[in-house]
Amino acid sequence: MTTLRTTIRPLGIAAAALSLAACASVVAAPAGAFRVGSGYEVSLGRDWSDISAVMAGKTRKVRLLSIDGPLLNRLYLTDGLAPGDFLIKPEIKERPTPVIRKDMSASERLEFITDSVAALEYQRVELAKPRPGRIGEASGVRFDLTAQTREGLDIKGAGVIAERGGKTYVLLYLAPAEHYFDASLAKVEAIMASARLG
Amino acid sequence: MRAVPVSLAALAAALALSGPVQAAERLAGSRPDIASVEGGLWGEMDKVEAEARTRGDLNRDPALNAYMHEIMCKVAGPHCADLRVYVMDRPYFNASMAPNGYTEIWSGLLLRASDEAEVAYVLGHEFGHFVETHSLERYAARKMRANVAMAASVVVAVAGASSAAGATTSGEAQSIIDATRGTIDLIYYAQMAALFRFTREQESEADLLGQRRAGQAGYDVAAAMESWRGLIAETQASDFKRVRRSESRSSIFDSHPLSADRIAALETQARTLTPGGERGRARHRAAIRPFLPAWLRDDLRRRDFGQTLAVIDRLAAGGEDLGVLNYYRGEAYRLRRGEGDLAKAREAYLAASGQPDAPAATWRELGDIHRRDGARAAAKAAYETYLAKAPQAEDAWMVQDSLSSLERSS
Ligand SMILES: [Zn+2]
Repeated sequence: MTTLRTTIRPLGIAAAALSLAACASVVAAPAGAFRVGSGYEVSLGRDWSDISAVMAGKTRKVRLLSIDGPLLNRLYLTDGLAPGDFLIKPEIKERPTPVIRKDMSASERLEFITDSVAALEYQRVELAKPRPGRIGEASGVRFDLTAQTREGLDIKGAGVIAERGGKTYVLLYLAPAEHYFDASLAKVEAIMASARLG
Repeated sequence: MRAVPVSLAALAAALALSGPVQAAERLAGSRPDIASVEGGLWGEMDKVEAEARTRGDLNRDPALNAYMHEIMCKVAGPHCADLRVYVMDRPYFNASMAPNGYTEIWSGLLLRASDEAEVAYVLGHEFGHFVETHSLERYAARKMRANVAMAASVVVAVAGASSAAGATTSGEAQSIIDATRGTIDLIYYAQMAALFRFTREQESEADLLGQRRAGQAGYDVAAAMESWRGLIAETQASDFKRVRRSESRSSIFDSHPLSADRIAALETQARTLTPGGERGRARHRAAIRPFLPAWLRDDLRRRDFGQTLAVIDRLAAGGEDLGVLNYYRGEAYRLRRGEGDLAKAREAYLAASGQPDAPAATWRELGDIHRRDGARAAAKAAYETYLAKAPQAEDAWMVQDSLSSLERSS
């Protein structure tokens, strides 16, 4: 096995934001309109926290919201991703993460989701039940997802990956299978349905 | 896991108070006095082992676990009853054997071993550290304290990462983190590394003992050199210059490179041992065959496609499983998408499609590649084959969509 000398990977989510209140870079995302990017808005049915600043592999185009902290619920919302953009940005060149390409096939879009989730700290990532879905005016695929944390906790996911005008939009919700996933699924589905691309 | 830093600190304190420990070859069935330093170490490892049993990446397949236990018993002889093997689904070459008998073998090692003889050799190497009580020698040399302090510093660095993203720490700690970036938590690594970082002399001793043990168990002693050479070849096959220029290690905890003299020493010893032992190639392949798709997918997710391709070449050398292996070869080229890679992906998928064990997805990928190439008829035929082979697939409607859009545009 090879050894590389680089800087520590900021654990971001896992270590930093165990307690949202303790972290100054967490900002409120109050109920109502939430602007994901230029001309892209969703409607939040309750107050969330915007923890984008403490997420691992953060980029300008990806917002991360949570209610109870990133270990208990996460909602990734991306602005239109162009070829070369990431959901999770690599920390170093030698450990790349999935990237949007201009000639992606339908199954490669789903692979972009599963491999990006695997690039976070999740294991045994499996996508299930792909079906037609949309984010505002962008049409795409709605999917469910299952995974596990390293500690063996079962995680469930739901989301949409959609395309419009050469840009890819992702909405991805992840939470522990026990209690938390179901507790917020309806809220997330309402957010999905509220998306408006200008 | 949060309690670990505290217990490591307690262990460090205990070590500071105790005198040097006389290290000797251990006897089968022996357990240390619970109040002794070694007893304390066993207690720590018992806790790590208990955690391992609940981890998400533990492979619970009874047949695979029984097979690993069987190889270990051949190598470990009378110590077999003291050892417990856990297969962890982690895409790195690694094995370890703790003083309490808690043994891990990672799927990345099983995927990279060509046969049972190579697995036996690596287990023999770990058994060498175990039976020669190398961890205790590290205590005696008082170096463990430095390691425990290092482990604690990693924990501190992790805890501090929230406020200082991109903080650096000692090179020693850094290599553990880098080798496993993102896949396993650092506290676990720090804990394991404190125990499994041996001296260069101990590594050489374990190499030779492992080879002798494997030979005594009836395995081909040449497997020792071949395991290490395979790892070196894989490093050289990396997509990344910095990786190619780095030195290979026998495990992620090994701080000493697999140097030419380590391999030369194995060659020299091999000449004194009985040649012509068994390789157990068919048995090994039969045991790992059900896991090839999942383990190759895990390996692809490391996204060093040059290395995965080297692993696949090794697996394909015997001419078996060519449907599965060529499919994953195609996946590696498709995902890498370098100059000429899509053409290589197409060739690999085509090679897979002629084999009885080709996954249905081979035809979906062929359809996508032909479609990109503008080869409409070929794309259509490939999509139709996919739908015929996997009518119940959850993504069948997506492939049907692609097919319909081809038909509309023709
Ligand atoms: Zn070793």
